[in-house]
Amino acid sequence: MSDQRIAVIKLRDLLMVTMPSDPDDPTITALQDQVLQAMERYNPKGLVLDISAVESLDSFFARTIVETARMVALMGGQTVIAGMHPSVAITATQLGFTLGNVLTALDVDRALEILANPPQMKVRR
Amino acid sequence: MSDGMQGEERILDESHIVSVRKTTRDIATRLGFGLTDVTRIVTAASELARNIFHYAGTGVMRWRTLEESDRIGIELVFEDHGPGIASIEQVMQEGYSTSGGLGMGLPGTRRLMDEMEIKSQVGLGTTVTVKKWHRR
Repeated sequence: MSDQRIAVIKLRDLLMVTMPSDPDDPTITALQDQVLQAMERYNPKGLVLDISAVESLDSFFARTIVETARMVALMGGQTVIAGMHPSVAITATQLGFTLGNVLTALDVDRALEILANPPQMKVRR
Repeated sequence: MSDGMQGEERILDESHIVSVRKTTRDIATRLGFGLTDVTRIVTAASELARNIFHYAGTGVMRWRTLEESDRIGIELVFEDHGPGIASIEQVMQEGYSTSGGLGMGLPGTRRLMDEMEIKSQVGLGTTVTVKKWHRR
């Protein structure tokens, strides 16, 4: 069995959350609790959810990620999901999963760039 | 890989959803499926195992390898003695859900696999059979 722990690390004014490769349901549920507690404790401006180790994303996992991002938004933070594998992206899309308006990045590096320069609302000319 | 391998995974509690994913990943990889197909198969198995856990409580996944002259496949049979499905047509509709939120389950799972068959009788249980093939 792989390490099931979720790593939540405060990095300057951000939270870095790393998901294990094949988390069980209690671990996925713990993601929400741990992230929201860390939001309250550190008051970061953003959250990078690193799923680059994740090998498959079923509807429960996918829904929990989107819900967590919405909760973080309610607490004033911006979530960027980083590092989704192509095979996971293809499968999640075919399964019918949409991210809504959660931001995504190819890797953690790009996610940090996005959070450093958050996309502005476009002003229509 | 010898022909006609088979086995089963019991689904008795939440942790067995992970066991089902590990077993299907292992078999699909050994059968020579590409990474995207392996991910599709594992995700479909996870959805179906979760359905058993949520709706029936317990059940079993039986798996076997399929060999034909020009193709190799995997068959997964998810069987439970739960409440059964009153209208299969209804559960195959996009967005339909009785438990709130898992509505993408069956139609989504169908898209990930090559074949899917559902047999169900109210009060007796449900059997979902899925297959995925690749060319030799």
